[in-house]
Amino acid sequence: MTMNADRLKILAETYGADRRRWPVAERAAADTLVARDPATAERLMFDARQTDAALDASPRPAVSAALRDRVIASAMAAGLSPRKARVVWDRLVLWFGAGWAAAACAGVIAGANLTQHLTADDRADAVLYQAGLAGVDDTEVLG
Amino acid sequence: MASIADPDEDLVRRVGQGDPAAIQTMVARKLPRMLALAQRMLGDAVEAEDVAQEAMLRAWKQAPRWRPGKAKFDTWLHRVGLNLCYDRLRRRREIPTETPPDRPDDGPAPDRGLLAAELGQRVDAALRRLPDRQREAIVLCHYQELTNIEAASLMSVSVEALESLLSRGRRALRQSLADMAPGADVDSRETGRKAEWI
Repeated sequence: MTMNADRLKILAETYGADRRRWPVAERAAADTLVARDPATAERLMFDARQTDAALDASPRPAVSAALRDRVIASAMAAGLSPRKARVVWDRLVLWFGAGWAAAACAGVIAGANLTQHLTADDRADAVLYQAGLAGVDDTEVLG
Repeated sequence: MASIADPDEDLVRRVGQGDPAAIQTMVARKLPRMLALAQRMLGDAVEAEDVAQEAMLRAWKQAPRWRPGKAKFDTWLHRVGLNLCYDRLRRRREIPTETPPDRPDDGPAPDRGLLAAELGQRVDAALRRLPDRQREAIVLCHYQELTNIEAASLMSVSVEALESLLSRGRRALRQSLADMAPGADVDSRETGRKAEWI
């Protein structure tokens, strides 16, 4: 669109006098026009500048510490646990898992040893029993 | 479609990984914007806090699955905030209240002068009296400093329609606050003159 005084005034009345808020495509042409005759441009944008000033008088609401804390807490509630805490948790899980595995292995080994002792005792009893019997082949008892 | 450059991209990625510093930065960067948006759209501090908190909660849920390049995170967050505001504005219309509508502005006369706080209150009151869509256009473009394309997209209107809403809204505000600008009549006459370099 051609940049002239009318267009400059329309843009100011639409977006305000601060040209950073204007459409990007028209800013350079507007800057050139304003640079050529700043006084006239300012006169054209006077109402818009007044409106901007009024809008800027509206106070920006401040974020209270309580709201900030609630929002940060809600991040945790949403499952965004900090990575550091997650690593510690993962390590704990690993350690507990390893502990359980070691305990299970120890149980298996102890069980196997105990069974071996019981079997040996049974076999010894069987040999003694067989020795006391006449006419029974050792192989029948011991296999 | 071209990928959209997003200044928040890295921050969102780190938030999605649960980085506490990134969460703090996101709160510092976005919570004031969401609170300002909701406060100016709703004109109620308590409701604005609720909306800002809910919008941030949705941001936390979205961050781990955010796919950069399709939209700016800030624009997405504004969409969430605006939807929450419009939900509440709709509910207000559905539930009749005993609160009387805004009275015509009977603020102090210009010759008495205005304290900054009073001035701010009058501007806020004038903003609240604007039609919702005009107020939304001004809030997005002036206060939230979104581009005209971003604001038009958020409002699901063309840029031309956005410009119409903006200029009508600003004109209505100027008329509503006319008594605050001593000598405005003189200035208006002056600005109405054709410029010499046309």
